[in-house]
Amino acid sequence: MVAGDFRLEGKKALVAGDSKYWSKYAGAALAEAGADVAFAARNAKRIEEAAGEVSRHGQKALTLKTDMTDAAQVQKMVDQVVAGFGRIDILVNANELLLAKPLLETSESEWHRMIDVNLNSAFHGCQAVGRQMIKQEKGRIINLISCLAERGVANFAAYCAAMGGVLQLTRALDIEWGRHGITVNAIGTGWMSETEKTGAPQEELLLKYIPLKRYGRPEEVGSLLVYLVSDTTDFLTGQLLYVDGAAMCHL
Amino acid sequence: MATGNGTLAGKVAIITGGGTGLGKMMALLMAKEGADIVVAARRIGAIEQTADEVREIGPRALAIPTDVTDPAQVNNLVERTLVEMGGLDILVNNAGIVRGQERRPLWEVTDEEWRIGIDTNLSGAFYCCRAAIKHFVDQGHGKIINIASGNGMRGNRGDFMYGTAKAGVINFTRVLATTFAQDNIQINCIAPGFVNVRELQPEPSTRGSFLTSDFIPVGRIGVPEDIGHLALFLASDASDYITGALFANDGGGLAGGVSPTGYAPVIAMEED
Repeated sequence: MVAGDFRLEGKKALVAGDSKYWSKYAGAALAEAGADVAFAARNAKRIEEAAGEVSRHGQKALTLKTDMTDAAQVQKMVDQVVAGFGRIDILVNANELLLAKPLLETSESEWHRMIDVNLNSAFHGCQAVGRQMIKQEKGRIINLISCLAERGVANFAAYCAAMGGVLQLTRALDIEWGRHGITVNAIGTGWMSETEKTGAPQEELLLKYIPLKRYGRPEEVGSLLVYLVSDTTDFLTGQLLYVDGAAMCHL
Repeated sequence: MATGNGTLAGKVAIITGGGTGLGKMMALLMAKEGADIVVAARRIGAIEQTADEVREIGPRALAIPTDVTDPAQVNNLVERTLVEMGGLDILVNNAGIVRGQERRPLWEVTDEEWRIGIDTNLSGAFYCCRAAIKHFVDQGHGKIINIASGNGMRGNRGDFMYGTAKAGVINFTRVLATTFAQDNIQINCIAPGFVNVRELQPEPSTRGSFLTSDFIPVGRIGVPEDIGHLALFLASDASDYITGALFANDGGGLAGGVSPTGYAPVIAMEED
């Protein structure tokens, strides 16, 4: 249940990018709060499934197979969303490609692909949708990133660098677009899972390390997302907000 | 404002500094979502007024005069709440004052001024958390919202006590969050930006004043609703995996802070 003031009736959202969870869970949360949602990603099956969630909540859904690393495709997709919905109130950039590898073994092409999917896709989304939001003189942009935008971990250099890039994109656009009624924020997720255990190596150690002693559930990101894109957050912008069970609090 | 959905129905919230400004708005917004409210502050007139407005919305309300720098009064606040309201689920540490901002030389600051500045803005939050948290541990849930400030994130000239105390509140929040994570108590922190608290005005302030044009990217100073809605979110079940987090709600200014205007002049890309 969403607090009355956070309802999103009449709002049009775009969830853009390929990522394990976010099309489905971000879409479901936005639709449950009353928004219509368009999805853009390369993985057609994933966005169809996400659209199903939106329809289940009685909201309109659009699916547009899009490679977010290709600026021309992104612009075309955004034009189609505007044609279909009439406007875009909410953009969620939800791009995530993982790579765990020592830097010395990371190839030139792997590095570029990591930056392309994780950072450049967010740039394309912000630029194409930002143009529309400036016309509207209102908009909400949320970049879904990771706590690794601010912390380092060995074998994750490319991922950390890309996520740090999206964080700084967020902060700069806040100031650049603040006067146009556009807020730009990032959500930094901690260790997330749909299930209580994943069978990952060293899982017991990890779960002991997270102060809340459990993974976050993807829908727990959805509830923050809904608040941040509601009409009550005109003044809240340029921030990285964590959903991490206090993982970022300790040493 | 839309009508409430009852997301805080059956909950009891203590809001310190709840007689005016941000605290009063938090009380009213939480009441609209169904929470019973205990308003605590030093001035009885203001907190009774807030309590009356809460009752008009519907939930129960109690006004308890409290000086948060006095541990005995704080303990009494929590005990009376448990007895008279039958429970406690949410604590908002909002009491505090901007004091010691006179920008005098450090060597002129007296022991007394330092003590009052730290007591009001940091120790008060400690006293309230200490009084409430055992109850939260025993019942297996609780929400604490500490109000800090951007002054606790950056060093402002001459801002000795307030800036230091608010930085203390931010890290006190993190320490509490890791300590009580397993007890299902979420402790978070809000850093409000410049907010007009002199009256509860429904419309955002007009654009273009000195403050807004130079320092705040969104082009206006804040209104109590901006902060009140954030407190409402952090008080609700919607934030159960969020703990130890700092939410700056400041119109965007803290994301920048190295250029006086926030804007760089356009420079073409040139490589030699």
